[in-house]
Amino acid sequence: MLESLLAVGGLMLLRDSVEWEGRSLLKALVKKSALRGEQVHVLGCEVSEEEFREGFDSNINSRLVYHDLFRDPLSWSKPGKALPGGPLEALRALDKRTVSGPATIALDSLSWLLHHLPCPTLCQTLHALSRQDSCPGDTPPGEQVRVLGLLHEELHGPGPLGALSSLAQTEVTLSGMMGQASAQILCRRPRQRPTHQTQWFSILPDFSLELQAEPPLESQPRSDPHTPSVDPTTHLTFNLHLSKKEREAKDSLTLPFQFSSEKQQALLRPGLGQATSHIFYEPDAYDDLDQEDPDDDLDV
Amino acid sequence: MAVAGTSGTGTRSTGSMVAAASTNNVTSFQRRGPRASGADSGCSRLVSIAGTRRSVRNGQLLVSTGLPALDQFLGGGLAVGTVLLIEEDKYNIYSPLLFNYFLAEGIVSGHALLVASAKEDPADILQKLPAPLIDHSYKKECDEDICGHKMESDIKMKIAWRYQLFPKMEQGRPVLSSGFGHDYDISKRIPQELIETSKWHGFFLPEKISSTFNVESCSLTSGYMKLLQFIQNIIYEEGFDGSNPQKKQKNILRIGIQNLGSPLWGDDICCAENCDASHSLTKFLYILRALLRTSLSACIITVPTHLIQNKAVIARVTNLSDTVVGLESFIGSEKETNPLYKDYHGLIHIRQIPRLNNLIYDISDVKDLAFKLKKKLFTIEWVQDNYLRQERNIYPPGFSYLLKQKDSAWGEGSLQHSTFLMSFLAKATTFASRLVRHCEPLKQTGSGRIRQAAGPRLWHDGRRQEAPGLLVTPP
Repeated sequence: MLESLLAVGGLMLLRDSVEWEGRSLLKALVKKSALRGEQVHVLGCEVSEEEFREGFDSNINSRLVYHDLFRDPLSWSKPGKALPGGPLEALRALDKRTVSGPATIALDSLSWLLHHLPCPTLCQTLHALSRQDSCPGDTPPGEQVRVLGLLHEELHGPGPLGALSSLAQTEVTLSGMMGQASAQILCRRPRQRPTHQTQWFSILPDFSLELQAEPPLESQPRSDPHTPSVDPTTHLTFNLHLSKKEREAKDSLTLPFQFSSEKQQALLRPGLGQATSHIFYEPDAYDDLDQEDPDDDLDV
Repeated sequence: MAVAGTSGTGTRSTGSMVAAASTNNVTSFQRRGPRASGADSGCSRLVSIAGTRRSVRNGQLLVSTGLPALDQFLGGGLAVGTVLLIEEDKYNIYSPLLFNYFLAEGIVSGHALLVASAKEDPADILQKLPAPLIDHSYKKECDEDICGHKMESDIKMKIAWRYQLFPKMEQGRPVLSSGFGHDYDISKRIPQELIETSKWHGFFLPEKISSTFNVESCSLTSGYMKLLQFIQNIIYEEGFDGSNPQKKQKNILRIGIQNLGSPLWGDDICCAENCDASHSLTKFLYILRALLRTSLSACIITVPTHLIQNKAVIARVTNLSDTVVGLESFIGSEKETNPLYKDYHGLIHIRQIPRLNNLIYDISDVKDLAFKLKKKLFTIEWVQDNYLRQERNIYPPGFSYLLKQKDSAWGEGSLQHSTFLMSFLAKATTFASRLVRHCEPLKQTGSGRIRQAAGPRLWHDGRRQEAPGLLVTPP
C-alpha cells in the first residue's frame, strides 16, 4: 500500500529519525513516480546534487529536474541576479513552474526549510503548492500534484511538527525493529476518519521498494494478561442475592401507588376527550366493604 | 407626559408610551417589550427577524446554531452579537460539521453569510453544506426511535409507571414549530438553488493576501487585518449595524471563520511556545467581538486548540469568546476501547456560556455529553452511565460493577440497593469520624486551662462533665 500512497495528491510527510533514515525511501518514491512518467522536481537543500542522483540510472536522472539550494543557499556567487528570496523564492518558483499534468515535488529536507523560513510562511507556501488543482473534484486523482517532504522529527519541537501534520494528507513515520524498517502510515482524507497502517519494507540498492511481511515477533515474556478477577460479592457482611422464596415474596408485594392497569392507562393518557373526570376506586386490603352505615349505631 | 401626545408633537421617547397614546385611546399605558440588542431603539413594536427568537429567560435575541440539541445545551441558541468558539478535535473531522450546520441554518433561514477560510475556497465550503430535511420524514424516524424505547419501558416499570411515556434520555425536541432550528441530512448536499438565492460573501486568504511577504508593522498579522477590514466593510455596506443611511437592514449576518490560529493564517501560535506575535489572535478576537456587538451578527470560529503550544494563549482565547464548545474525538485515544463510550464517537464539552444581561449562567445541569455521527445525523447525548462514574469516587472500584448489572437481583428501587448504600455509607462515615479528633488531651492542667470546644468531654477518669452548680460535685 505504499504504492497506493502515490495515487493520493497533497502533502506527504516522511518523518525520519537518526536510527531510521528516510532519504532512501524518498529516493525510492521519486524513482517510482519517475518511472510512471510524471514530472519530478527536486529541491535539494541538504545534500549535493551528485549525491542525490547517485544510484539512479540514466533515464530516471534525465527526468529529474533538480533545483539546487545546497551549493549556494544565500546566492553569494550570483551577485547580479535578483534572487533575494532564497529558499522561499525557489519554492514559489516551483509553484508557478509546475505545468499541467501529474507532478511530484520532492523537498529534500523540510527541516532545512523550517530552519530557514518562519513556520507559518512555510505552511502557507506548502499549502499553495499542494493545492495546485483548482477543485479536487475536477481533476482525477492521478493528475494531482503531490509534495513529498522529508522531515527529521528530532530536530523540531512539537509545535512545527503538529502544524505540518495538520497540513499533511499522509504522514509516514519511519521506525523499525531488529534491522527491519517499517513505515507507519497515517492517511487523512478530508471528511473521513484517518486510517493507520504499518508496512514493513526494505530498500534495495537500486532504490526500488520491496514490501515485506511482518517479521516474526520473538517470544517476549508476556506479563500475565488475566489477573484473576475478584468477585466483590464474596466476603460481604450483608446478603446481596435473593433466594427464590424471597423473590416470590417480593413480587407479590402490593405497593401503595400501584394501581390496576386501567387506572394506569387512564392516568397516563389524560384528556382523551373527557369532559368529566373519572373516579377510580380500588379497595385496599383494609377497606371494609360493608354497606351499612356505621353512624346508625349512634344514639343521637 | 402621556397626555401631551394628543397634539401630535409628542416626542418619540424610547419608551414609546407617548406614541401609543395617540393611536390607542383605551389607555395611555402600554407594555414595554424587552429591548433588542442594539437595533430596535426608537421603535415601539419589536421587529421579528426570520430565523430568530427571543430567549424566554431574559429576552435576548437568539439564533439557532443549526443543531437543535446543541441549542438546548447552550440555553436556547446563540445570542446575536456573540461569538461561538469551537475547539477542534484532533483530526478535524467533526468540527467542520458544526461549522457547516451553522452556515446551512443561515441559508435556510434566509440570513446573509460571510465565510472566511485560509484552507478551502468559500464557494467549495458552501457546496458541501448539508441539505435540510423535510419535516415529516425526520419526525417519522424520530418517532420510531421513541416507540422502540417505549416498548421496553412498558414491560419493565412496575413502580415508576408514570414515567414510562417519557423519552429515555434528555433529548431536545427535534423541530420547533416556530421555524427556529432545522434538521439536516449530512449525506446529501444542499440544493444548488438555495445557495444561489442566498446572499453570501467569501474571504479566501491566499487570494487576498499580496504575494510579497512584508514585515508587518502593526501587531496584527496581515491576514487578520485584512479579514477584519473585510468584515467591517460588509457590515457597514450591507447595513447590519444600522449606521448606513442608505440601507436599513433587518437581517442577521452569520460569520464563519475556519481554522483561525492555524499557520495558514500566518499566525505562529501553533508553531512556537513563545512567539513574536502572540497577541495577534487575541487582538483579533477582541476587535471582532466589538464589531459583532454593534451589529446584528453572530459568528462561529473553529480554532485548533490542540496545536496551540502555549496554554496561556488558549486561556486568553477562551476568555475572549462568549460561548466555547470543545470537541474531543475518540480516534486514536485510549477511550476508543472504553466500553462506556462504545456507542459514541467523541465527547463534547461546553466550556463556557456567556452571562449576557444576567447574573447567572443559563446552563443545563448535564455535564457529560457525547456525540455520535450517524449516517445522516449528528446527535448529542448524555452519556448514560454518567452517574456511575461519579459514584466511583465514593465506592471502591469493585462495587460500581454491581450497580451496573442490569439483570441483577435488584429491581429498580429495591430494598437491597438501598440497604447496601446505607450500610456502606454508614461504614464510611464512622471510619471518617474516627479520624477527626474530638477530645483534647485528657490530663487537665491547672489554672492555665482553656475552655474546651464542644464535644464529649471526659474527666480523666472517664466520667462526663456535669453542669456545675446544679448537681452534686464529683467526689
